[in-house]
Amino acid sequence: MPGQRRYGMDHEFYRWSPMIRRGTLRWPDNARVALCVLVTLEHLEWNPPAGTYQSPTVAGGRGSRAFPNYLRFSHREYGHRVGIFRVLETLARHDVKATIPMDAMTAEHYPYLVRYCLDHGAELIAHGLSASRMITSRMSEAEEREYIARSVETLRTASGIASAGWMGPESGESLRTPHLLAEAGLRYVCDWANDDQPYPIETRAGTLVSLPAMLDLDDVNALWDRFMPIETYARMLKSAFDVLYRDGARNGRLMVITLHPWLIGQPFRVGFLDDALSHIKRRGGVWTATGAEIVDWYSRHAPEASGRVG
Amino acid sequence: MKIARTVLTVKPHFRALRRGAPRLESVAMPLPPDRFYYSPIVERPRFRWPNGARVAFWVAPNVEFYEYLPEADGVRDPWPRTPAPDVREYGYRDYGNRVGFWRMLDVLDKHRIRCGVSLNLAVLEHHPEIGEAMIQRNWDFMSHGIYNTRYLNACSEEQEREFYRDSIETLHRLTGKTLKGMLAPAFSGTERTPDLMAEANLEYLAGWTHDDQPFPFKVRSGRLISMPYSVELNDSPVFLTGQDADYFYRIGKAQFDRLYQDGERSGMVMCVAVHPWRIGLPHRVKWFDALLGYVMSHSEVWQATSDEIADYYMAHCYDDVLAHAQDLERSSTSGAPKWPPIPPTFGGRRETLRPPLSS
Repeated sequence: MPGQRRYGMDHEFYRWSPMIRRGTLRWPDNARVALCVLVTLEHLEWNPPAGTYQSPTVAGGRGSRAFPNYLRFSHREYGHRVGIFRVLETLARHDVKATIPMDAMTAEHYPYLVRYCLDHGAELIAHGLSASRMITSRMSEAEEREYIARSVETLRTASGIASAGWMGPESGESLRTPHLLAEAGLRYVCDWANDDQPYPIETRAGTLVSLPAMLDLDDVNALWDRFMPIETYARMLKSAFDVLYRDGARNGRLMVITLHPWLIGQPFRVGFLDDALSHIKRRGGVWTATGAEIVDWYSRHAPEASGRVG
Repeated sequence: MKIARTVLTVKPHFRALRRGAPRLESVAMPLPPDRFYYSPIVERPRFRWPNGARVAFWVAPNVEFYEYLPEADGVRDPWPRTPAPDVREYGYRDYGNRVGFWRMLDVLDKHRIRCGVSLNLAVLEHHPEIGEAMIQRNWDFMSHGIYNTRYLNACSEEQEREFYRDSIETLHRLTGKTLKGMLAPAFSGTERTPDLMAEANLEYLAGWTHDDQPFPFKVRSGRLISMPYSVELNDSPVFLTGQDADYFYRIGKAQFDRLYQDGERSGMVMCVAVHPWRIGLPHRVKWFDALLGYVMSHSEVWQATSDEIADYYMAHCYDDVLAHAQDLERSSTSGAPKWPPIPPTFGGRRETLRPPLSS
């Protein structure tokens, strides 16, 4: 539906909330920045079935290749076989617990990884069925409900843990996704890349918290889609943090970094992640937490209503 | 010579299990294409390369011949910019054979590098001088197809069989060498490729970029391993995405540093993939020189060809790695609480096993 030319948003999910009009969000111990690192474990399908929607850029955006595309397939698989271990080791060195969006195919077919991630203190969140099956508005409501249920259920069966959060493959959503996520018992969603703080999304099944991941900081977006040199990426993470840290003195900020082990876990890249995290963790006043921990805190400590504090 | 196996203390250790997480009831059907066992690198049996080396350093120049007027196969157009011929793009690549190769060769000679060349076999017929230079230096030859403008995707099973027969025969006739491996032109292939390669007694297929070590393919019969070629440390994608050879040098150095560190735990492969028509340009070659110099200044490096890496792996690692991967799959899907212990940190921890290869 085209916009209605009225004040506020052109949809009903959340309210227009300019930073300058917000109350103050306070993190635990008055931290200035809450840091959340999403480490995505997702499966690219060898030959996705007809009718599923795969983003044209999902496999890297260097143009499509003829079947069998083992080049892109195996590049992704590197993350599951090698990259994830380097990434989790790096996070552990800085005492950062990962939040891991894990799709159903990974959860079901890589029991070792499920255990490994749990054992390393990660929080697993649902991440659809596979990287090759985005949610789009082409799905019927029943199909989408089934899709979400299977994603959540498969992860629950594999891990024994009910997922609190959701990130759609390629952040795909239809017009009704937030409603269906809330109905499925999920409490937060990472699809909308639009803020420095969490904020509520209102659905017919109650409130869902949006945990916005900054798109520019996503390693695939930066390193693969925008061809950014790895040194520049590390510099970008550091300066993004510096500004959030400065701004967070007045009003708590959230820094969500999305990583893909097949990319950032490559031998020549992972040291730059280490470097960026050293920079971030050097400062006091940084609260590193998983998605659920942040959402729990946020839900209990809504920003104090006030005037111009942003 | 046997490779040293990690000593596993078998006890249920995963906190998830202790928390009473349900075991997996269903044994999931393998995901297509089911060409490999899942084998997390931190769990795999460890090994070292010859003389205890941590990193097998494989330099893979792609020596190529693109046809001026290729036959269209309906799958991939090598000259998509214009109806063929595309003399600009053809000439760009031809530069590699006329000039770039020889400039690159000087640098390789300076560092005494023996390459596992990725070779369009027709180069031997079109440009025997290049063939002689490579034979003289005792390089090994990995097939990169016949021409870089003839792909496998549209091949029938019989055509693909004939392709391997032709490749093996051509290499033997013109160099006296036995063909062992392939990097398919333009990463082309069919779903049958690994089976047919094993059937033709080839040892390895490069182009599956899923690992830093070779790894056994599942094939219908015989044995085949994947050889870790690189599409990251590769001059083509780097130069096509806004960077030049100075960046190639810097990431190559970082790549080596990390693999050298991880290689303390278990042998790693570092592949540097280049194209004479890219790296052999006047302004680039010094960076290639610098990268080779950096890597070769380290003591625990095995400068090897892809053939040598494959031979060593087949003889000393294949059986143990495969058996371990099969065990892990069984223990992961049977629901039995036979989980391996918490893997040691990947890389960096010096007290972890340094398996001296008993010889």
